[in-house]
Amino acid sequence: MSTPKGDGYVIGFAVSICIACSLLLSATASTLKSRQEYNVELDRKMNILKAFGVQTRDERGRAISGAEVDRIFEQYIREIVLDGETGQPIEGLTIAGVSPREIAAGTRLPLYTFEQDGEIAKYAIPISGKGLWSTIYGYLALNRDLATIAGVTFYKHGETPGLGGEVEKDWFQNNFRGKRIWGDGNLLPFEVVKGTVADRYPQGNDHAVDGISGATLTGRGVTQFINRDLEKYEKYFSLIRRS
Amino acid sequence: MAGKLKKIVTDPLSDNNPITIQVLGICSALAVTTKVDTAIVMSISLTAVVSFAALIVSLMRNMIPGKIRIIVQLAVVSSLVIFADQLLKAYVFDISRQLSVFVGLIITNCIVLGRLEAFALGNKPGPAFLDGLGNGLGYSAVLIAVASMREILGFGTWHGIQLMPAGYQGNGLMLLAPGAFFCLGLLIWAQRQIIKKFETA
Repeated sequence: MSTPKGDGYVIGFAVSICIACSLLLSATASTLKSRQEYNVELDRKMNILKAFGVQTRDERGRAISGAEVDRIFEQYIREIVLDGETGQPIEGLTIAGVSPREIAAGTRLPLYTFEQDGEIAKYAIPISGKGLWSTIYGYLALNRDLATIAGVTFYKHGETPGLGGEVEKDWFQNNFRGKRIWGDGNLLPFEVVKGTVADRYPQGNDHAVDGISGATLTGRGVTQFINRDLEKYEKYFSLIRRS
Repeated sequence: MAGKLKKIVTDPLSDNNPITIQVLGICSALAVTTKVDTAIVMSISLTAVVSFAALIVSLMRNMIPGKIRIIVQLAVVSSLVIFADQLLKAYVFDISRQLSVFVGLIITNCIVLGRLEAFALGNKPGPAFLDGLGNGLGYSAVLIAVASMREILGFGTWHGIQLMPAGYQGNGLMLLAPGAFFCLGLLIWAQRQIIKKFETA
């Protein structure tokens, strides 16, 4: 800031700062991209495992290592892609080979199975939809009977921390375990109630979970997209239930 | 001279602490202090950003046109912050998710811009770097102290290690923003009592 400079100098200086900064940032972004993508992929796998009820934390509450996640995923999880129209599995297609657009449009449906002793023990589907402020992403796992929930995770959202953001907390997700989505030959309308299930349905309701206080609209969004996404898979699930 | 340099680093740790004395950077001090882990990562990020931003700005201090100096400082700071955010996303993904927007918000942290304006623009690179480092460490000390109180009372753990007896019922208030206000307020009071700094109304 020694002497006043001309406008040409000011513009020249601004331009060179911009170029230097953008070069630095592009270089960083491209160097770290593969590692970041690996982390996102690991996080996705971790959440599928969590939905299936696999322990993803050790006794000290630390997350298990990436290699361990890959190993469990490799050993137990199989991926299937369904055709949205017919509900039939498409041979030879992996979830990585399906574009997000096809999944969003519902023409291709990714499905994960958890296999134990050569048999399918659980199924998991990706669920996502609008909460109050943002799109919430998660996985919903069903038991072998395709009637009760094995587990649920919500891992990506932009809801208010402490209110709608509680969807990512264990206390909320644990409530889903064991709830029914199917009974008497029909899909049951699943519901995240306002308040507690005990208050809302004194006679009991096995296809509803307690809501989050202060986040009624987030709960309504979750209710909506869980039912909508289960509907999409119903063609395939009804085939399995029959066999 | 050596004594003066040392003072640049140690002054912001206590006598001129950016949080407890100048009451800057409160927003992130409240937001990321529910656990010690997140507080440590946030502290390292901020300290690195403010030190290197001060160094870079000080190196360019005779070239930066006065008319656009704030814009230039912001460009330097935001580039460093994005750089730090990218590193966190690549290497400590879990913590970077918990910190969410707050790493990005280092850009708007008054401590950073304050040190650049008040010190780095008028001093040589060496002292400027140390001034940034000192202020970063002063911020870190407070952040980690608040996080320790909140994690111990709120979860019964410190850095994930169980401290309280097994049946300890965590104090939920400590995990919410008001808990942070209480801790920070007590800390500011204690600090000012110790160094005998009183503001006259």
